Amino acid sequence: MILKVNDLEFSYHKTTILQNVNLSIDKGAFVGIFGPNGGGKTTFLQLLMGFLKPTKGTIAISNHTPKEARSLIGYVPQVTHYDRQFPLSVLELVLMGCLSKSSWIGTLPKESKIRALEALKRVNLTDKQEASFGTLSGGQAQRALLARALVSQPKLLLLDEPTASVDPKAEKEIHDLLFSLKGEMTILMVTHDLETIYQKVDRWLCINRQISSYAPSEVCQHFSHGLYHHPTLPIL
Amino acid sequence: MIFEPFLSNLFLQYALFASFAASIASGVIGSYVVVKRIVFISGSISHSVLGGMGFCLWVNRHYEIPWLSPLQGALASGILSALLIGWIHLKYREREDTVIAALWSTGMSIGVIFTTLTPGYTAELMSFLFGNILWVSQRDIHLLLGLDLLVITLVAIFHRKFLAICFDEKQALLQGIAVHSLYLLLLCLIAISVVLLIQVVGAVLVITMLTIPAAIASTLTHRLSSIMVIAVALGWLFSFLGLSFSYTLNWPPGATIALTAALFYTFSLLKKKNVSTC
Repeated sequence: MILKVNDLEFSYHKTTILQNVNLSIDKGAFVGIFGPNGGGKTTFLQLLMGFLKPTKGTIAISNHTPKEARSLIGYVPQVTHYDRQFPLSVLELVLMGCLSKSSWIGTLPKESKIRALEALKRVNLTDKQEASFGTLSGGQAQRALLARALVSQPKLLLLDEPTASVDPKAEKEIHDLLFSLKGEMTILMVTHDLETIYQKVDRWLCINRQISSYAPSEVCQHFSHGLYHHPTLPIL
Repeated sequence: MIFEPFLSNLFLQYALFASFAASIASGVIGSYVVVKRIVFISGSISHSVLGGMGFCLWVNRHYEIPWLSPLQGALASGILSALLIGWIHLKYREREDTVIAALWSTGMSIGVIFTTLTPGYTAELMSFLFGNILWVSQRDIHLLLGLDLLVITLVAIFHRKFLAICFDEKQALLQGIAVHSLYLLLLCLIAISVVLLIQVVGAVLVITMLTIPAAIASTLTHRLSSIMVIAVALGWLFSFLGLSFSYTLNWPPGATIALTAALFYTFSLLKKKNVSTC
C-alpha cells in the first residue's frame, strides 16, 4: 500500500472542504478522480503533497507524512496554470525535475541530462528540447510537464486535469502515454474525461466533500456530464 | 564626437563607470523581476529605501556621525522592506498588494519627515530621489563593485533554483528546495540592486532601469541567462547614451538615462506590435 488516509478533514475559513475521508491505495494502481467543481479534488491533491495541512486526520505516503514524502511525488498540473511567456527551454523545464539532486553550488549530476533526454523521448518531445516552452502547443506543453514529473522517477504521480485544455488528438496521446506508465508507479489523475477512459483505470474516486469509491464497471457515462448517482460503495 | 566628453572629463568617467557597475546587478536581478512579474514589489522596495536614507542623514547631521551615510540606510531599509514583503507574501498572500502599497508610501513619508528634521541644507534628498551620478566618489564605486560581486556570486550559485521558484514554486517545493528562504534572498538581492541604482538614477527612477533593459531583452530571446546578458548590455548602452545626452543638453543625468531607456522600450513595443500585426 502506498497511500493511506485516515479520518481526513480539511476546512478553510470555517468552510469544510473535505470530511470523513478514509482511503487506501495500492502500489502501482491507476486511480481516476472525478467530481463536481469545488468538490475538493485539487484540495485533496494539495493535501497529498503537503501544501495544505489537514484540519483533522492523517495522510501516510509510503509510511511518511506528505512533507517527508515529497521526493516520492511527481505532479502534473494543467498547462494553463503557467506563464507561457516565461523564458524557458523545454530541456530546462524538464531538468527542474532533477533539482533535488543538485549540489550546494547549483550544479546537477551528469546523469540528470541523460535522464531528462530519456524522459523527453518517452513523451515524444526529443526534437523540441531546445524549443521555448511558450511555443509548444497545449498538448506538447502538457507532455513536457509530464516529462518533468517523470524525470524525478516518482513513486506516486498526481495529475490535475492534464487533458482539460487540449484537443482530442492530444488528449488521446496523453492518455496513451499515461496508460503506458501503468504498473510502473501509482497514478492518481483528476479528470473530467470519463467517457474515453472510464474502463481503463483500476478504480475511480468521486470527490464531493467526501470521497466515494467505484469500480470501473460501476461508473456510468452520465458521470462525465456531472450526473452522479447511486449506488456508491463505501471506501475500504 | 559622442565619446569626447568621456575622454576628458573625470566626473563623466566616474559616472560612466558607476552606471556600468550598477547595470550589471540591475540587468541580472531585473531579469528575475520581469519574468516573475514582481515589478510592483520592486517599486515598493525602491521607494521604501527613502525612509532609511532620510533617517541616516538625520542621524549623521544631528548626532554628527560622519561614517553613517544615507546609502547604508538605503541598504538596511531596502533589505528590511524586502524581508517584510516576502514574509507577507509567504504568510498572508491575500493582503500582499495592500502591504506593498503601504510600505511604498510609508517609506517615502519617513524619508521626507527625517529630511525635513535634518539640520542644515539637505540637497541630498533631491539627489536620492532623482539621482546625481556626477557626485559618485571613488568610495561609492568600490561599494558598487563589492555589491556587484556579491550579487553575481549568489546568482551563479542559486540561478537554477531561482529559475525554478520564478516559474513554479510548488514544483520547487516538491524538489526539496528551500523556496521560502530563496524567495526572501531574491527580494534582498532586489534591494541591493535598488541601492546600486539609486546612485545612478535615484529612487524614483530605479524601477525604470531595473525593468526596462530586462523587458526589452525578454522580447529577443527565450533563455533567462541570455536575457540577463542582453539586459546588462542594454543597461550599459542606456547609461552611455543617457550621460551623453545629459552632457550635451545640460539635462539631469539620472532622468536622461531613464528617459533614454523608456524611449528604447517604446520602440521595442512598437516593433513587436508591427511584427504581430503583419
